[in-house]
This record gives sequence, C-alpha cells and structure tokens, in this order.
Amino acid sequence: MPFLEFKDVEYSYVSGEDELTKALNKVSFAVERGEFIALVGCNGSGKSTLARLANGLITPDSGQVLVDGMPTTDKSALFDIRKKIGIVFQNPDNQMVTTIVEDDVAFGPENLGLPQDEIRARVDWALKSVGMQDYATSGPFRLSGGQKQRVAIAGVLAIKPELMILDEATGMLDPMGRREVLDVVKKLNRDENMAVIMITHFMEEAAAADRIIVLNGGAKQADGGKELFDTPEVFESAGLDLPLYVRLSRRLKGIGADIGCPLSSDEFARAVANLKGEGEE
Amino acid sequence: MIEVKHLSFVYSPKTPFTTQALFDINLKIETGDFFGIIGSTGAGKSTLVSHFNALTKIQKNSGTVIVEDMDLSAKKVDLNKLRAKVGMVFQYPEHQLFADTVLADVMFGPKNIGLSGAEAEERAKRAIELVGLNYGEIAERSPFELSGGQKRRVALAGVIAMQPEILVLDEPTAGLDPRGKRDIMELVLRIKESCPTVIMISHNMDEIAEYCNKIAVLKHGRVMGVFSPRELFGSEELLNSCGVELPLVTEIAVKLNELGVNVDRSVLTEDELFEQLKKAVKDA
Repeated sequence: MPFLEFKDVEYSYVSGEDELTKALNKVSFAVERGEFIALVGCNGSGKSTLARLANGLITPDSGQVLVDGMPTTDKSALFDIRKKIGIVFQNPDNQMVTTIVEDDVAFGPENLGLPQDEIRARVDWALKSVGMQDYATSGPFRLSGGQKQRVAIAGVLAIKPELMILDEATGMLDPMGRREVLDVVKKLNRDENMAVIMITHFMEEAAAADRIIVLNGGAKQADGGKELFDTPEVFESAGLDLPLYVRLSRRLKGIGADIGCPLSSDEFARAVANLKGEGEE
Repeated sequence: MIEVKHLSFVYSPKTPFTTQALFDINLKIETGDFFGIIGSTGAGKSTLVSHFNALTKIQKNSGTVIVEDMDLSAKKVDLNKLRAKVGMVFQYPEHQLFADTVLADVMFGPKNIGLSGAEAEERAKRAIELVGLNYGEIAERSPFELSGGQKRRVALAGVIAMQPEILVLDEPTAGLDPRGKRDIMELVLRIKESCPTVIMISHNMDEIAEYCNKIAVLKHGRVMGVFSPRELFGSEELLNSCGVELPLVTEIAVKLNELGVNVDRSVLTEDELFEQLKKAVKDA
C-alpha cells in the first residue's frame, strides 16, 4: 500500500461572487515511503491546494486522499494523519508560536502528549538535525530567514512525520538560506528515510529530486524521473522554464554538440569538458 | 540623483537591543542608473533604501541622503514632494492592496497628493495599462480576486501612478514563477523608459547580472564597493571578499575553466555563455 494516495481528487474554491474556481481536476498519484519528489507548476497551478489536501487541512470535493490507507475525510483519523505528514510553509515568521526556539520546536511533541524526557530528546534531535542546536535558547525573531526556516523544519521534524511537504519553503530566502534548507531536507530524506515533497519554482531545485510531478491548471501534466527533462515541452507548456544547464545543452545539441542531459552545473561542465577531450584526441 | 553621505543607522538606540544596521555608507546613484543592491539577509539593504523616501528618518549626526536638490537630514523635508519623486515598491507589494476596486487602489496615491478625481483617474488608467493589464476589464474588480501576478502588477501601478523619477524595488520578483519573474523584469524595463532611475534589491544574482549597470555590495551594514556587473562577477577575489553568490551562468563558466575548458568567466547572460561554448566546442 502506498503511503500517500490521491485518487481522482477534485477541489474548487469560491472566488468572487458565486464564482467557483477549480483548483484541482481529477488528480491521481501515489507516494511511497522515502521518496524525494519535486512538485512544480506555475503560480495558480494548484500546488498549495494539493499540499493542504494531503494532510486534511482541506478535504476533496470528490475523489479520495488516503494517508497510510486512512481517508482524510475520516475526522477520527486526522490526528494520526497530521502526525504522519508535516508541512513547512513559505513564510517562516508566520510559523513561530513561541519566543524561544526550543519551545517552538517542542510545541508539536507537547501536543502529542508525549512524556517530558521524550519531548526533550526529540527537540534536541530535531534541532541537531537542522544544525540549530546552538540557538536552542535564542528568540526566533533574531534569527536569519534561513535559520528561522530550519527551526520551522525542526518543529515539523519533532513530530517525526513520515512525509514532509515543503510548500515553497525556500521562496523567501536568500541563496545561502536556500542551500541550507535544501541540504537539511536532502539529509533527512537520506538518513531518516523521510519522504519529501518539495513544492518549488526553482527548476534547479527540482532537478535535484528523484521524481518530478508537473501541475498545470489544476491537472497533473507529467509525473516521472529525470528523463522528463528530455521532453522540455512538458515544462514549457506548464509555463515553466528548464534549468539553465538543460537549456544550454539543448542549444549545444542544436549546433551538433550532443552532451546528453546534465542535471547540475557540475555535470554540465564535465560533459562539455569530456566532449572537448574526445574532439582533441 | 541620490547621494548618500556618511550615513549610519542604529536600531533601538540606548536599549539593550541596540543594533547598528548601517555604518558610514557613501553612495552615488546617478540619473539613468539601473542600480543593484545585494547582500545577504541582515546586510542592511532594506534599511538603506527606506531612507531614500524618508520612511526611515536620518538620525542625529548620522550623515545624510541628498535626493536631487533635497537634503533629507534637514529639519523640514517636503515629504509630499519627496514621495512623488521616489516611488517605493516593497517586498510582496500585493500585501498592501487595500481598496475595494483596482481603480480606487491605484488612484489612492495621486489623490493623496492633491490631484483632482479626473486627473487621478487618468493617471491610474495610464499606470494600469503600462503594467500590462486591461483597464476596461480590471478597473472595477476587487484586487483580492486577482491572481498573484496580477496583484503585484496592480501594486506596481499604484506606485507608477505617482509618476516617480526614481523607482526603488525591494525583491520585485520574489515568490513568482520563472515566467512571472521575467514578465515583471520586462515591465520594469518598460517603466524605466519614463522613470529613468531604478534601484533594485535582489537575491537573484541572475537578474542582477542581466539588468543592472552598477551593483553595490552590502555586508554587515557596510558598503564593500560599487562595481559594474563584469567587474564583480568576473573577479573571484571580489566575490569571495564580498561574500557574493555567483549567477548560474558565471558558476558554469568558472567550473568549465576549472576543467580546462577556456571560456570567458565574466559572462553575464545565457546567450553570452552560449557564444563562448560555441567557440569552445568548435575549437575542439
């Protein structure tokens, strides 16, 4: 049984007077434990709606969302569902509830009714996992954006979810902060086998995921591995750009220099260097 | 023109929380510049630009800012005149929309500086069209029903309707998807035709490299220097000492050089890099 399953999910919200906007249209997919997925799509494609449906903040108009087999419409299962799926949102300032970092991280486990020593252990572990243990007793409002967002991740982590959804969690950060957060998330995925759905506009971040789901106008347009970059139309028709190195390798192919489809600037540079090496031999 | 002379600023002075945000800043921004301000979070970028339209008051004995002929450290500053001259677009400007209709929102500024209803409406109409929205379709709608990208355009129109000579943008493309980012930057170029001086804070080095002719680097409240994009992104030493991230094109150029592929590492756009790659590949 997959860990998270969307089955023909539809959702509309009210926009203006008596106007309904369909945010998601018959969306189906399944997420297994430990997967690292990038969810991409332009503004208004339904990405955030999908995140909110996943842990039952909202429920589908039709279709079903199942977490570990439990439908999100089952109110008695919601507590368990939210233990299993944590969401980190875009604005770190809206996610802080206390004036001390470790209290903030303890908020979730306290609500689970865990014993004191277990809470302590989880808070220490979560802060250490995101590299913020030295700030345990600081006020969150004196931290940088990247640091705050790492604390927000620790707060979700302390609940020990099996899936973490990051809803443009790096969108408001500077490049350094973005890298910090991305590194922490990759590590958690690798070391804790925590599944990750990363909602992002940064196609370079998406290229780092194992699997990419493309949303376009509320419908699933594509779902696959890195081979999706071989068919750029998938991204272009969804209003997205290809990562720079993919664009460049396609242009090179156009002038007869085929270097395949490198998915990082390192891979790109190596591919070009190899091509030159071959040519000179 | 904006001249910043020996400007310093301290948050919460004479309290236990006192933090000095700016240290002896000196800058000259000339008419016609597309002036970039970069630096990591907390470097003082927003504090600095908030002085340009006197949202932040210059503290005693802390230098001054001169905007055209106005000395902002003077006892009396004509704020109406200053704010008509310097338009400020904050981060996530769509959060500041407030009126019932798009038209009312965009007219608010012009009416506030004493223009008649008809004049204000005329200006609002031009501004809404300039930002690429259809006036007839959108004027009477609630700004809150619009998409994120449209809302940001409406917020920009509100500033444009003041017909500023200097436009200050704080992270104008944050949170937008790639196409939205490009649309907003193209719009900024269009605005620049009638508002000659643009000052932009951004974390997006790709945008800074592509659009700005001068770049000031801030670090811990100090100006590390003002450079042309090629000077800055072409020099490893400068980038390291200033703690600046590379634009992706430059990053790739640097990596290619490390692997023995000779390309000019001061490239600033995708097209420039591609020209270099073409040469490198042909030589092989």
